[in-house]
Amino acid sequence: MTAAIDLQDIRLTLSSAAGPVNILSGVSLSVAPGEAIALLGPSGSGKSSLLMVAAGLEAPTQGRVSIAGTDITRMGEDELARFRRDHIGIVFQSFHLIPTMTALENVAVPLELAGASDAFAKAKAELEAVGLGKRLDHYPGQLSGGEQQRVALARAIAPRPSVLFADEPTGNLDTHTGEEISELLFALHTRAKTTLFLVTHEERLAQQCGRIVRLKDGLIVADERK
Amino acid sequence: MNTLSLAARLARRELRGGLAGFRIFFACLVLGVAAIAGVGSLADAMLAGMASQGSVLLGGDVSVQLVHRETTPQEHAFLAQHGKVSEIAMLRGMGYAIKHGAEAERQLIEIKAIDHAYPLYGSVGLAPATPLTDALRCSGKICGAAVEQTLLDHLHMKRGDTLRIGTQDFRISAVLTGEPDRLSGGFSFGPHVMVSMDALKRTGLVTIGSLIDYYYRVAMPPGADVNAFRKQADAAFPDAGWQLRDRTNAAPGTKRFIEQVSMFLTLVGLTALAVAGVGAGQAVSAFLDRKREEIATLKSMGAEGGLIFLTFFLQVMAIALLAVLTGLILGAIMPFAVGHFFGDEIPAPAIYTVYAGPLILAAIFGILSAAAFSIPPLARAREIAPASLFRDIVAPVHARGRVPYLIAAALAGLVVIVLATVISPYPAFALWFIAGAAGALLILRVVAMGLRWSLRKIPRPRNTTFRLALANLTRPGAATSSVVVALGLGLTLLATVTLLDNTISSQVKDSLPGTAPSFFFVDIQPGQTQAFDAVIHRFKSATDYRRSPMIRGRITALNGVPSKDVKAAASAKWVLNGDRGITYASTPPDHTEITAGKWWPADYSGDTQISFDAEAADGLGLKLGSTVTLNVLGRELKGTVTSFRHVDFSNGRQNFVMILSPGIIDKAPHDYLATVRVEGADEEAMYRAVTDKFPNISTVRVKDAIAAVNGLLQQLSDGVRAASLVTILAGLFVLAGAISAGQRARLYDSTVLKVLGATRARIASVYAIEYGLIGVITGAIALAAGTLGAWLVTKYVFDVDLVFDAGAALLTVAGGGAATLLFGLGAAWAALSAKPAALLRAP
Repeated sequence: MTAAIDLQDIRLTLSSAAGPVNILSGVSLSVAPGEAIALLGPSGSGKSSLLMVAAGLEAPTQGRVSIAGTDITRMGEDELARFRRDHIGIVFQSFHLIPTMTALENVAVPLELAGASDAFAKAKAELEAVGLGKRLDHYPGQLSGGEQQRVALARAIAPRPSVLFADEPTGNLDTHTGEEISELLFALHTRAKTTLFLVTHEERLAQQCGRIVRLKDGLIVADERK
Repeated sequence: MNTLSLAARLARRELRGGLAGFRIFFACLVLGVAAIAGVGSLADAMLAGMASQGSVLLGGDVSVQLVHRETTPQEHAFLAQHGKVSEIAMLRGMGYAIKHGAEAERQLIEIKAIDHAYPLYGSVGLAPATPLTDALRCSGKICGAAVEQTLLDHLHMKRGDTLRIGTQDFRISAVLTGEPDRLSGGFSFGPHVMVSMDALKRTGLVTIGSLIDYYYRVAMPPGADVNAFRKQADAAFPDAGWQLRDRTNAAPGTKRFIEQVSMFLTLVGLTALAVAGVGAGQAVSAFLDRKREEIATLKSMGAEGGLIFLTFFLQVMAIALLAVLTGLILGAIMPFAVGHFFGDEIPAPAIYTVYAGPLILAAIFGILSAAAFSIPPLARAREIAPASLFRDIVAPVHARGRVPYLIAAALAGLVVIVLATVISPYPAFALWFIAGAAGALLILRVVAMGLRWSLRKIPRPRNTTFRLALANLTRPGAATSSVVVALGLGLTLLATVTLLDNTISSQVKDSLPGTAPSFFFVDIQPGQTQAFDAVIHRFKSATDYRRSPMIRGRITALNGVPSKDVKAAASAKWVLNGDRGITYASTPPDHTEITAGKWWPADYSGDTQISFDAEAADGLGLKLGSTVTLNVLGRELKGTVTSFRHVDFSNGRQNFVMILSPGIIDKAPHDYLATVRVEGADEEAMYRAVTDKFPNISTVRVKDAIAAVNGLLQQLSDGVRAASLVTILAGLFVLAGAISAGQRARLYDSTVLKVLGATRARIASVYAIEYGLIGVITGAIALAAGTLGAWLVTKYVFDVDLVFDAGAALLTVAGGGAATLLFGLGAAWAALSAKPAALLRAP
């Protein structure tokens, strides 16, 4: 069976004012379709960078990235954008909703980008599914942090991506709201039968995934399956 | 899905954010577009007014001008065949106030003698309202005259007093408040005095060879073809030597003036747009900087770069369109407002309505400028990587826009330049102006970059206030460069204009009196020459006395080619336009500098030889041996160019383009022109002596003429300076934009400084030093660039030395510094008054 995510010997070096910094030092990882994997590690371990490389947001300095059997390593910027549009959903720690758009419009954007004719109907359904059916016309500024992350979740899942990447999705939320969001995240993952690639530094959240990969100094130090 | 419609949808949603961040972009664009649209509309209003009033301004549907002579009976009959004819005569003379029976104060005047048919179109304004024929009627020995108020003021006279012209006394019956055909007359040396044609003949000023212009205006039947008239007139009287004008170009001088001023102001408007463009670029950059996260988010969801560019381009263009529309509305209103408030000072009759032409042009300039300056930052925004959502601070992405976008921006700019050049009546001037502005922009940009670099390199001062100010100037995102460029361009224009004005007016005011004579005496009759010489020689301080025969004639052909078909350089066309003063001489006058060929022998009296002004000859394509055909007093005179002379028209002396050899020309009736320099009290004494003894001789006091020309120059340069303020205003908008863009950072800084114990005075002095430094440095750069520009113009256009004016220099530098300082401190006020706790509590 083709892996949902296949990373081969990923190395990433970034330039900084103080000289080159090695972020990832040779990471290989294969994630099966439908699997929920948590990347756990302390701050600076390279887990967010690995997510960016895997999601095609950042080109690795070395190594190969395949998503659903497609090698995306050498894709151009616009080719990558189209690939993300069709296969990838991303949830950010700080939501990254577009402030000038309503909740409904925010969720509709990826569907519109994909050319869906019923973008708004689907977006409405997704928002209702995350419990925001009554907040469709609210702007991000009028929503609480938890509600904003729900919108972000709906937006990420709406185009039915094959892989859902989530970067510290509860990092900016209080404990109670964080729990609600994590419940919702896993519910969506199950409902949409999508692969979940979760980056977190919370052990409790990681434990909800079927597989936990621990990272330290840009290298995998443990790969645990339940 | 169609990318454009998706981009339009996203842009529409984005626009909900309002104009915040685009206020400066909006204001700059409104200002530039309104200036161009307003100037163009006002010029069109005046030109349309002149076109519709052509017959009134000209005094008839066609006008025939003759110098020195009236029409022959045949010529008059020909004119009368085409409609009703009116004859007027224009000449200069001296007007004497008669007080207690004797000649008291006197003044050079312009006499306008009219017949009963005048005016064929329009009406003459008299105060009190009196029928014109009644006002000018002769009864017994005295005739009536209508005079301009300035003459009454100058001679301390009132209505009912007696004015003597030549040998005739006139009772001032009315004040002349309006002449319908005044604009077609050109520059006046003195106030107008209107008398009847019969009265003129009584003055004794009309002799053969006196400098009188006769105008014959014809009111043609409706629908008559003025071009057909011209052709018939040329065919019937090929040697008449008259100058024909028709209602389609009634006041060419005024029309040219309006066109020139309008072109110049349009170019100033374009400079304001360029400054606005710098501000627009800065505003778009700042806006996109705030949108970085959003752009990266869209890209992470699969939006391609092209869609991102299009979304924000549409948004910027929508705001630009709104600004352009606002500018157009203001521009369209401008002529109405100017007409309402300054109607009396408008030099031409204007038709106030909305003119599409200048509005369309201003709209195109506005949109293209907005595109040219906003595409580069938009192209950079297109390259924002989604990874910047995670890591912009660790590894900031400094992408440049892709080449096709930069080419598109350059093309938009190029179209503006080409269009501005093509529509200009003087394309070469427009191109030089644009090149100058672009050069100044480039210099300012390079200097601004150099400035930041060097400020960063100099050792940090120990004084904390200075250190903080310097740090503010060089920190990432500091507005130093854009302020230097935007404000600098306006100040450069102001410095150039001020220095040019200073050079030209000091040329007129200071240099000219050094070389120019004190008086020009015109219309000295042949029988008066000895007595006149004797009067002049009575004055011990009289120097440089020169009396020359003078006759006016027109060049009708060069080398057998009719003047109208001669391909002359623009700088030499004036020689062929209208009548020129011609003199003759046996020997070269003093200070003559022959540049080529040979002067004729002193006793020569054969076929006419001509010594021609070398520069004009070059422009007309004349060589030694070329033939010049002149029309003098209606007769044709052909001569051969045998020498060229260097003539310096800027010295204000007697300068003739053509000096002819005697033999033929001296047989034509003519009079004399004399010039002389006198010192001190002799000037007034000579004025009185000559005008007492020779009432027919027009005495032009050079001092007065210089004052009149200087007054005109002053008005013009005041107008130009006021126009360049538009550019400075645009620069100040940009400055305000830069300050407001940095406001958050400033608020943060001042809060931290306050927490650390800095007083408000300390923080204010940091800002004062920062903005004062930017302003003074910008002023200094602008002064240097403006001096360079003014030097280039004075050297290559006017051929004079630049006169540097320390006052103007100081004004530019100090003005730049003060404006920046005031704006800076004004904007920093919010940062100063913020309470630290409020900001520190904010999440």
